[in-house]
Amino acid sequence: MKQKKLLALLLSAAMVTTMFAGCGAKEETAAPAADTTTETAEATDDAAETAAPEENKFADHVTLKWYLHGSNVSDDAAVLEKVNEYLNEKINADLQPIWGTWGDFDEGATLAINGGDDVDIYFTCSWSADEYNKYAKQGAWVRLDDPSNNLIDQYGSDVWAALPQVLKDGAVTDGAAGTGVYAVPGFKDFGTQNTWDVNVTLLEELGYTLADVESRDFYSFGDLLAAAKEAKGDDFYPLVIEGAVLERMVTNSIIVNGDTAGVLSYYLDPKDVSNDIGSKVVNKFGTDEYAKFANQVREYYLAGYIDPALANGGTANDTLVAQQNAANYLIGTQSYALGYEYTTSAARGIHVEYVPCTDPYVDKTATQGAMMAISTASKNPERAMAFLNLLNTDPYLMMLLEYGVEGTHYTLDDNGLVVFNDDARATYSPWRNGMGNITLLTPTADEGVDFFTDTFVPYYTNAKAIPAFGYSFVPTSVENELASLANVQAQYALSIDCGSVDPATALPEFLEKLDANGIQTVVDEANAQLDAYFAAN
Amino acid sequence: MAKEKKRRINAVSVPTEILIHIAMILFCALCIVPFILVIIISFTSGESITEKGYSFFPNSWSLESYKYAFEMGYVLWRSYFNSFFITVVGTVASVLVCALYSYSLSRKDFKYRNFFTFFSFFTMLFGGGLVPTFVVTKQLLGLHDSYAAVIIPLMVNPFNFIVMRTFFQTSVPDELIEAAAIDGSGEYNTLFKIVFPVAKPGIATIALLNAIAYWNEWFIPMLYLRNDVKHMPLQHLLVSMQRDVEFLAKNAAMMGAEASKAMQGTSTQALRMVLVVLAVVPIACAYPFFQRYIVAGLTIGSVKG
Repeated sequence: MKQKKLLALLLSAAMVTTMFAGCGAKEETAAPAADTTTETAEATDDAAETAAPEENKFADHVTLKWYLHGSNVSDDAAVLEKVNEYLNEKINADLQPIWGTWGDFDEGATLAINGGDDVDIYFTCSWSADEYNKYAKQGAWVRLDDPSNNLIDQYGSDVWAALPQVLKDGAVTDGAAGTGVYAVPGFKDFGTQNTWDVNVTLLEELGYTLADVESRDFYSFGDLLAAAKEAKGDDFYPLVIEGAVLERMVTNSIIVNGDTAGVLSYYLDPKDVSNDIGSKVVNKFGTDEYAKFANQVREYYLAGYIDPALANGGTANDTLVAQQNAANYLIGTQSYALGYEYTTSAARGIHVEYVPCTDPYVDKTATQGAMMAISTASKNPERAMAFLNLLNTDPYLMMLLEYGVEGTHYTLDDNGLVVFNDDARATYSPWRNGMGNITLLTPTADEGVDFFTDTFVPYYTNAKAIPAFGYSFVPTSVENELASLANVQAQYALSIDCGSVDPATALPEFLEKLDANGIQTVVDEANAQLDAYFAAN
Repeated sequence: MAKEKKRRINAVSVPTEILIHIAMILFCALCIVPFILVIIISFTSGESITEKGYSFFPNSWSLESYKYAFEMGYVLWRSYFNSFFITVVGTVASVLVCALYSYSLSRKDFKYRNFFTFFSFFTMLFGGGLVPTFVVTKQLLGLHDSYAAVIIPLMVNPFNFIVMRTFFQTSVPDELIEAAAIDGSGEYNTLFKIVFPVAKPGIATIALLNAIAYWNEWFIPMLYLRNDVKHMPLQHLLVSMQRDVEFLAKNAAMMGAEASKAMQGTSTQALRMVLVVLAVVPIACAYPFFQRYIVAGLTIGSVKG
């Protein structure tokens, strides 16, 4: 009996210690980071006084671990050899990338952060599992513009000067060390523009031109769709849509950052996206615009223009991708990225054009689309910042890491444009937008000489910020309501958005359930926060 | 009538037998048909999959995916080798650990057997959770980016301990061990020369279970290898291809054009089926080797009576 008690005690003790081991390791790793920051603060003071050469700061050789997303890399030896040679000379450091893939990144990265792993730099953004704002609040990222130890001023002034203002503003978040910047945003496509994806090949077969789509809107597509349906037969569904995207396109509304249930809308002025039309967050499904949209989409559905499989959450994505790739559509929905028509035209074997619904706009979600954060578990945050600075300002390093070694992974043609060597690239293709400042890259032969200077940079730097740009809804106080609203939304939204149910009966029922689950509380809270945001700015 | 007489005494009636046969045939079909479908898909051309979806009778056949898979070269063969290496080394190591541990537990003259039984059994009921396990394995024990990181975490399996302990207790009589001791056999000699041969069916069962566990493991390699191609097993390669596609499909709305662009770089459905075939064939071949021991293991109880 006595033995048993002793045993039980021993085991519970063991269990408690293992439980706390997870937290303990993190605190431990955080402590040295704090030590080093004070040290470097002193070091920079010294540097300012004696104007010591920069190399002194990086006297000891270190290895930087870098966790990336979306990679397709199986052999990085050749690239790393050159990268490390270069980095050794510049910042006295070796680079050790962890090539996270689409499927593995979320699990691997969150586990590494929570486990206090010795990774120095993490990819983070508004849509990955190591979500930027959430983990900033949790204290996982080093604040880069910390007034007591401003890493950007000390080691990252070049990258900061190179970034557009809107990206810098978008990176400001309310983190564990105060409101500030916790990651270096990547200069990639950050504007959002919803477009009609038009199968021009089919359109012209039917005797129309692109101008016929441009002059129409969703409510007047009827005759085009009817013509396509008639020409291609009963099994052909001319309108290939993603329900939620279609709804936003037609009603000119955008996602409210932080709305996890997908029930809130913020309306834009389609003529000028930066124009404030009385900024207000509303119940997405309760507006007149929505009712009008629902009736129209129902009409198209009944006419056989929309594949019923698109209205079913389980099959929608597969069907969408399959129909797009097989070019089995006339008009579709697409959130646009610059140059996308060339990619899809080639992949689908037809002429694809994208007809925009509005000008491109910039919201906070898009500016946080791909960022690099320095982990608080990193022992060398200064060196990590120096690396990010170099990566985002030095074309040689960027080319090397993104496209590989010249002569092996790619060659330059007569115009000095990049032509890939497919064999070598099959083992080394990191995700371009997940790397950093892609405007440093030499354009590919498909993109053309002036792609970045004449097309890319003007397109995105001219994209206007929406009126409530810096606003993001913090739903902590209404999380219970949001969770039950998400269930209601999942039950009704897609089928109404795709027209597979009659809005005359389903919509009132849907609204009633939303009301019963506290939609008004959520809308009120979101608006209170929005008002507070405008009052502060 | 004559036939009727030849039937064994313990035979069930004909209608029952027919029913049982039908049930068993259906059950076998449930197991085999999906695999046949996988093989067929692996030979189906990409166009046929887009047009018709998965089908037992595709519109057109193609060897394209196999050609592509074999052209993957280094990554494929390396992961194939890794899978074999991890499975063989892991199985030998884990069977040895399991046999040693559970044999001790099966001996009634071992003073702390109750403690050590409970010690292993406890971990079946309460796990440390993912993050603490990760911290202990990676930071404390330093197991990452090596074969050891994949082999060691799976080496100790309390469920197998209990199965094996029970097996030793029921199939190895105490008298046998006593007799060996009287004849002057030391503990290790008794274990390896006397007990192991008697316990072969049990050891074979555990070996098969462990081999399958090692062969199919992808989660541990994902956590501790992090796409280190040098050590990555085939199952991880396969699962990560599958997860890439799923992730992009799920996040398509959030990522917009970016997701469709990335989708171009992922593997085709037929290619993934090729890898499934490549992954299943070797382990399916392992069954016949172990089968006779397992059958012997199942019947041994009744022989003892």
